Amino acid sequence: MTFTPVFHSEWIKIRTLRSQVAALAMIPVVTALFSALASSDTGGDDFDPLFSVFFGVTFGQIAAIALGTTAVSSEFQGGALRLSLAAVPHRGRWFAAKAAAVAFPVFAVGLVTGVVTLAVGKAVLGTKADGLGWAEQVRGVVGCAGYLTLMALLAAGLTAVLRSGVATLSILVPFLLIVSFVIGDASSGVADLLPDRAGQVAFHETWAGAMGPWTGLGVTALWAAAALAAGAWSVRRRDA
Amino acid sequence: MTSIDVRDLTKEYGTRRAVDHVTFDVRPGKVTGFLGPNGAGKSTTMRLVLGLDRPTSGTATVGGRPYAALTEPLRHVGALLDAQAAHGSRTARDHLRALAASNRIPVARVDAVLEATGLASVARRRVKTYSLGMRQRLGIAGALLGDPEVVLLDEPSNGLDPEGIVWIRELLRRLAAEGRTVLVSSHLMNETASFADHLVVLGRGRLLADTPMRDFIDARVQPHVRIRTTDSGALKSTLAGHGLDAVEQEDGHWTVAHARVDDIGALLSAAGVPILELAATEGTLEQAYFDLTATETEFTAQHQEA
Repeated sequence: MTFTPVFHSEWIKIRTLRSQVAALAMIPVVTALFSALASSDTGGDDFDPLFSVFFGVTFGQIAAIALGTTAVSSEFQGGALRLSLAAVPHRGRWFAAKAAAVAFPVFAVGLVTGVVTLAVGKAVLGTKADGLGWAEQVRGVVGCAGYLTLMALLAAGLTAVLRSGVATLSILVPFLLIVSFVIGDASSGVADLLPDRAGQVAFHETWAGAMGPWTGLGVTALWAAAALAAGAWSVRRRDA
Repeated sequence: MTSIDVRDLTKEYGTRRAVDHVTFDVRPGKVTGFLGPNGAGKSTTMRLVLGLDRPTSGTATVGGRPYAALTEPLRHVGALLDAQAAHGSRTARDHLRALAASNRIPVARVDAVLEATGLASVARRRVKTYSLGMRQRLGIAGALLGDPEVVLLDEPSNGLDPEGIVWIRELLRRLAAEGRTVLVSSHLMNETASFADHLVVLGRGRLLADTPMRDFIDARVQPHVRIRTTDSGALKSTLAGHGLDAVEQEDGHWTVAHARVDDIGALLSAAGVPILELAATEGTLEQAYFDLTATETEFTAQHQEA
């Protein structure tokens, strides 16, 4: 049994659930909307046009996380996982296919999101966006897709460990929307290594910390990899 | 020919032993009824066979191999474990398509099993709109998807309407007649009696019986003769004269154990006893099962006292 049919199966599962298709569609909508709001209010000394344009990713990521979470949590309802693992007894391969089926659509939608939010943000900023170079814009778009994908995978891995979508979302959503904001401005150092803070360096024109945009995404990738590894371990080890 | 072989299988959850050193085979070409009260370990055993739970000790194999070693297992083994396994927001057809894709089963099979289980007309409706009986049918459709030579069904009659029960009975008989290995768990005796050739009985995780159904019943329940008469006195004395003991039942008929209806008919006719009804009564699976479990309870009680 090879990977491709299992991936195909998991991809069918995602695209045949309206809630998951809706979550994918929400990513660019929410991101562009909040970026437009942020770009329309650009007072202050620390104005960063790139971050204004990609500000909405903070909110758009919730939809990506919802997708990653529900794709896995739906397996823990009504014995669905038993059916999945009876079809694919190679549990590591099954979980890898599940993660890939989450990652590919989120990455593709993430690229679209990046382009859309960049266009919307620049339109709202007007002349203030003139300083944005091509390299920065490309970095923002690719970083947006990469960041959203990694956050969706982080959520998927965490859900496999916790075996509950509610548990995952009630940890991740407050963490991303509240904790990170509260400690965000106040501190640096360890806080810079949090998955969202590290990854979002990619959306800044200039950065103060030691990590650059790609290193930052690398740190987020380590978080996602750790969550997936823990999830895979849980799926393989526990009784279904 | 593919059989399920369970060898010295044990599964413990914490200190509770759900399956306790169980050994049995399920052979092709017949329907094996898997009996036992709720909590006896039937579902756990099925999960162990499918490699979903890890045994504490012992083995379960399908065609001599552990389930997890099968490539594209749905083509060899089909199982219904839980009718709720399909996501409510997906259509039945999409649910089966996802399942089929994982084992490279063509979409034509999806439509074929939907047709075979009577779901073709509702295949594009979301599963949350289905009744329990329809979900059972969908679960059975999933089990048949890969045209497997081994079929395991856990309580397939649950929630089925009378038509559905007749349908599943015929389906199981047909699968066995095609030479497949069929294991069907149930706690409904009369239902199981209608389709099973062979029985595996579990109680509190232990194997209580592994025998052909007819032998199981005959060994535990004596067939008897049922008689109704207008002259109880004559009946009783005539039979007593031939060493037979007639016992009056609550609703007024009499039963005679250890006797053949042919002998008693001739006997009563010769003696001129008026007969309203004379019938041979076979033992039922239910009687045999309760006889077995009564012995089992006794044994367990004694065991605990000792």
